[in-house]
Amino acid sequence: MKKRKEYSLLLIFLLSVMGACRTTSDTRVRIAMPLFTKIKLSDYNKVIITDFLQQNEIKDFNVNEELTKYFSTEIKQEAKTTVATENISIENEENFENSDFWKTLTPASAGTLYFSGTIEYTQETRKALIGKAKKQFEDPFPSPRKLATRKFYTLDMNVYLIDARTGEPIFQRNFKESQSYTNPNQTGYFAFFDLMNRVKDKLFRQVLGGERIQERYLITK
Amino acid sequence: MRTKSTLFFLFILLSGLIFYGCGGRFQHDQLSFGIKAAQNELWDEAIFRWKKVLQVNPDSASAHNNLAVAYEKKGLWEEAEKEYKLALNLSPKNEHIQSNYEKFKKIKQGLDEEDEKKDEKKKRI
Repeated sequence: MKKRKEYSLLLIFLLSVMGACRTTSDTRVRIAMPLFTKIKLSDYNKVIITDFLQQNEIKDFNVNEELTKYFSTEIKQEAKTTVATENISIENEENFENSDFWKTLTPASAGTLYFSGTIEYTQETRKALIGKAKKQFEDPFPSPRKLATRKFYTLDMNVYLIDARTGEPIFQRNFKESQSYTNPNQTGYFAFFDLMNRVKDKLFRQVLGGERIQERYLITK
Repeated sequence: MRTKSTLFFLFILLSGLIFYGCGGRFQHDQLSFGIKAAQNELWDEAIFRWKKVLQVNPDSASAHNNLAVAYEKKGLWEEAEKEYKLALNLSPKNEHIQSNYEKFKKIKQGLDEEDEKKDEKKKRI
């Protein structure tokens, strides 16, 4: 009887040792993951920014001039490569897909990337009646509904990155950004840079990569 | 005589159980050490530890999963995908591996989740 008790005690002890050895756990970690990019800008030693195909014009504001200036500075800074601007007039949108058009521009120029596209920059003034949201209790002194004016600016861009060797676009994406301003006298110049900063963030993340905090599970089993 | 054979049987059984239980101790230690290294941004050390586990047990889904995460961190996309697929083949129902692989695929496809969310938010406003 006593021996049986000893055996069962020994069994319990050994089982608990075994249990302690067998552990399972998962660890959730937050990691700054590099973003996947299909384009290697380091393969190109020169980026040529062309004029963008402009769909419309805004009074007293040269969109193309500001756009090329903006991107030449930003690309130079971020991609650390040679950037040049060229006045190449792209007459129609089909030219972006026409490899011969691009190949004839700079024959046998290896390592050149064209930065081009289309741009539409519009402004719009909208008026609307605005009132306060309904409250739980009725306001004894309600303020009259007002007519508010908002100025909207919209930037619609198609960006093409074209390899000069093949004349083929290696990247194409549409960016459409809009912003409203309470100031009815807001200038197109000011709004343009607000919108361009947003486009730049998205575009550079896709072209140049970067890092993004991601959650992953690491397992011990 | 009977007591002796019972004792012997018990001894064999328990030894087997302990061996089974503690046999994975090395793996567990290496996997944990790798995680500690990864948490301290020592990804090469982590890769070394997890590769060591695979030398002993090539069927360790955990080691394959962890290696995939490390390769992803280093921007080695093809190696990461290969390891994720191996991990999923070995443990297809593991939710953590599935979750990791789904997120990896999204990044590889270039889906910019944040941009999409922002755009949706803007549309709602």
